Amino acid sequence: MSAVVPLPPLLRAGGLTMTYGGGVTALAGMSVEVPRGSVGLVGANGAGKTTLFRLMLGLMEPTAGWIEVGGHPVAQDAVAVRSRLGYMPEHDCLPLDQTAADVVSSFGEIAGLPPRAARQRASDMLDLVGLDEARFRPVGGFSTGMRQRTKLAQALVADPELVLLDEPTAGLDPLGREEMLELVGRLAGFGISAIMATHLLDDVQRVCEHVVMIDRGRLVLAGPIDRLVERTGVMRVEVGGHVSSGRLLAEALSRRSLPAQLVDEQTVDVDTRGSGEGAFDVVRDVVAELDLRLYSLSTRHRSLDDLFVHQAARA
Amino acid sequence: MSVLPPTLSGAVYDRGYRPYEGPRGGRRAAAIALWRLSVRRALGLRRSWRQKVFPWLLLAIATVPAVVNVGIGYALRDNPLDLADFEFITYREYVGVSTALLLFVALTAPDIVCPDRRQRVLPLLFSRPLTGADYVWSKLGALAAIVFGFAFLPQVVLFVGQMLVSDGALDYLTEHADVLWKVPLAVLALAVYYAAVGVALSSLTDRRIVGGVAILGTALVTSAIAGIIIGATEAEASPFAVLNILALPLGIRDLIFLGHVTGDTALAGVAGGGVLTVTAYLTVLGASVAVLLHRYRRVDL
Repeated sequence: MSAVVPLPPLLRAGGLTMTYGGGVTALAGMSVEVPRGSVGLVGANGAGKTTLFRLMLGLMEPTAGWIEVGGHPVAQDAVAVRSRLGYMPEHDCLPLDQTAADVVSSFGEIAGLPPRAARQRASDMLDLVGLDEARFRPVGGFSTGMRQRTKLAQALVADPELVLLDEPTAGLDPLGREEMLELVGRLAGFGISAIMATHLLDDVQRVCEHVVMIDRGRLVLAGPIDRLVERTGVMRVEVGGHVSSGRLLAEALSRRSLPAQLVDEQTVDVDTRGSGEGAFDVVRDVVAELDLRLYSLSTRHRSLDDLFVHQAARA
Repeated sequence: MSVLPPTLSGAVYDRGYRPYEGPRGGRRAAAIALWRLSVRRALGLRRSWRQKVFPWLLLAIATVPAVVNVGIGYALRDNPLDLADFEFITYREYVGVSTALLLFVALTAPDIVCPDRRQRVLPLLFSRPLTGADYVWSKLGALAAIVFGFAFLPQVVLFVGQMLVSDGALDYLTEHADVLWKVPLAVLALAVYYAAVGVALSSLTDRRIVGGVAILGTALVTSAIAGIIIGATEAEASPFAVLNILALPLGIRDLIFLGHVTGDTALAGVAGGGVLTVTAYLTVLGASVAVLLHRYRRVDL
């Protein structure tokens, strides 16, 4: 019986440090392990996201530390690592005088596909990103959204194990952003892992399973999003029917040993950590006893924004 | 509203994503692909007709002397004055139809490297299994191959044409057998040199027009400087002739065809003129390649 060998993590780095010639430290001793799947790489501008991409692609050597992509040490064979990657830069990077079909198939060939296979894959990828009817138009005449899709198509054309997406929704209108996120969200279903660098936490929370937060070259937080944004143990209750509905409710709940904090005259945050699910029944009964109207009752979740601000401040 | 009969109705399928399971090349395949794509671009293939006109017009112009030479030979083949051996242009001289080739290099070399930097395509290229050195050799190889082709094909037309209009094709072939290695070697020396200098100068800028002007300017300025210095010394032979760097391949051509540099250059009467020519040629070639490798050793994303 053959044992199933688990796939190596998407990214492993230890003590990764990158100091540029001018003395600017872009990454400062970062150690991280990222599993396969959709990963959001979050940080403000200048946090070190692009430097991390450069190091993953083997386009520069770290000042100190090591990095592995898909189990392959980048320092030993950067070319082999790059042959497994697709990359979608943030900035404009497409030859403007070529058609989308030529651009994508050219990058397929340069990624090692035979010319005929590259043309076929280019056609498929442009179909996938919704540019099937524009494939024979020069990229120079494309809108920002169409160029972003072309960039995604070229990143996928060689069927990579991993795609590095640098701000894929930058410059897109709301509809274009939705469509791009939908495409990125589908990558995991194709068996392609993705690392999406962005400063938009909403985008990460929508399409990624894991998040890596960096700030000024240091790792702030890394882990599965589900676990990081788990319940906070706070229930928010909105009530009406009296001028001081919230105050009345907060006082009544405190008398029942359920700590409550007044948010405004109609809103109360209830700490449920000591009472569990039973807190819902207590709130319901108290609202009924006070003859108040219950407008809403919800369990609060931490957002990635809360986490990032909190953890970055601590770091 | 009309309803299509069942036989004409269709269904829309989401084909989704299909993984690629075919052969996949590595670094060598990537470099060859970049070479092929660069050749295609330089020849104007899969581009608008305006981009196609110049290279093919150049090839036609470069072939004119061969056609004229063969045509005259054909017209005079039965002439009692025995003018069939008339030579409008020799094989050695034909290698030196370099002005047209230089113009081609000045237009094409910037076109195959400048847009990659200006349109920031380099980060995408270097995110593939490709190194900076691979990029340099691919681009240089592409331009050298085209210059070689454009300089060599007219020679083939000349040789085959002359052979066919001669009194005896086999005799012509045996009498001119040395041309079969001298021409390709001399043309190769010219093509590699012009390609290296052209691509190196173009790599220093991201604007095509600046690259083109730099190539033509280098040709004119170095020629003028060499001329002024030699003129000032009032000598017929001068080692300063090596400063005319774009004429150096013609010295190599003479060494290949004749074994010595000729009166076409002021190096002819200089002691060790041949060695000086080869040294200067290799120095410029090496410097050009070094500039290229330095320019593409690293790329910013």
